[in-house]
Amino acid sequence: MTDDPVADLLSRVAAQDRAAFRTLYSQTSAKLMGVLIRILGTRPEAEEALQEVFTRVWLRAARFDATKGRGMTWLVAIARNHAIDRLRARPSDAARDDSEGVIDRIRDSAPTAETRMIAMGEAGRIADCFARLEPDRAAAVRGAYLDGLSYQDLADRHAVPLNTMRTWLRRGLLKLRECLDA
Amino acid sequence: MTTDDAPLSPEDQADALAAEYVLGVLPLSERLACEARMKTDAAFAARVADWEGRLAPLNDAYADMPAPDLLPKIEARLFPIAAKPPRRPLFGWLAGAVTAVVLVLTGMAVLVPPSAGTLVAVLGETDAALRFEARFDGQALTVIRVAGSAAPEGQVQEVWLIAPEAAPVSLGLLPGERLSVAYPEAPAGWTLAVSLEPAGGSPTGAPTGPVLAAGLITDL
Repeated sequence: MTDDPVADLLSRVAAQDRAAFRTLYSQTSAKLMGVLIRILGTRPEAEEALQEVFTRVWLRAARFDATKGRGMTWLVAIARNHAIDRLRARPSDAARDDSEGVIDRIRDSAPTAETRMIAMGEAGRIADCFARLEPDRAAAVRGAYLDGLSYQDLADRHAVPLNTMRTWLRRGLLKLRECLDA
Repeated sequence: MTTDDAPLSPEDQADALAAEYVLGVLPLSERLACEARMKTDAAFAARVADWEGRLAPLNDAYADMPAPDLLPKIEARLFPIAAKPPRRPLFGWLAGAVTAVVLVLTGMAVLVPPSAGTLVAVLGETDAALRFEARFDGQALTVIRVAGSAAPEGQVQEVWLIAPEAAPVSLGLLPGERLSVAYPEAPAGWTLAVSLEPAGGSPTGAPTGPVLAAGLITDL
């Protein structure tokens, strides 16, 4: 046993333990549902995605390496990647038509993400590093990570050309790396 | 900002790309290219893993949302129940036989797809629009298209089995929805891939067209 109960369950799932798979579902599906609803926007699509995510978890559990990260981080990465692939596979104009909804989500989420982070003691370091970025770059990184915004969404939101957005964000990310790895 | 004008070093280029992949800002084609690169470029895969770790504290901002119990659906997909018809008394058997005859006579029986066994691989993880599953029933490996459609006129989807470090071997063409190939086992760690080829299949014996989907066979 380790201090990471999700990792322990994943190693049992990798050994084809179906009971562990059920326990894993009951303990982590709410978190992953939160990820999927936030990125995909609707519950029906999130529920469909959740089935796919847990199917992949079963099939890929053997690839989880507890020495390289926490179990929940691995699960959230699978959920985020799947949700973002779904978003990017949507006809781009359909996503754009919904831009009002996207903007509402941005307005809602950007401040809460920060407030939450500050409220959480263990997230202190990343909050600190975000605070050192220019505010609009920090908001762009958070919006992309938490809400699945694309470069096009970000460029529209900040009213800058896409290439400018990409240069900004890349610089911001490398600055963030410098701070987080220090 | 003058620093924005200086070009990035190749190292920083690769690292920025890994970060963009983890953030999710890239269009689908670039995401797919990143995933392909992760499979062959261990250093790049490590960069992606590092970024997942760096940004993981942001996961705290995702609020829990109640999830319905989707386990029955997930398990039905992963662990199909072995099709064992229950023993019936003679009357039931007769009734079943009559039904079967009627089905055959009306041509219905052929429409019932045979059970293809346990799920051993998911192909096309990154493109929800076109996805395949591979199943193994102890005797045959079956690749089934579960999302998307057949190749356009004049082209065909071809299925490949790729042992580690080896050249792809064609398992056959997929003009319809499924392809079954007699196979003694589902070789875990091998890759299944579907490529787009000219009608009739790859002229060279190796994939010539784009890979539409790929997935690793998992030992179940």
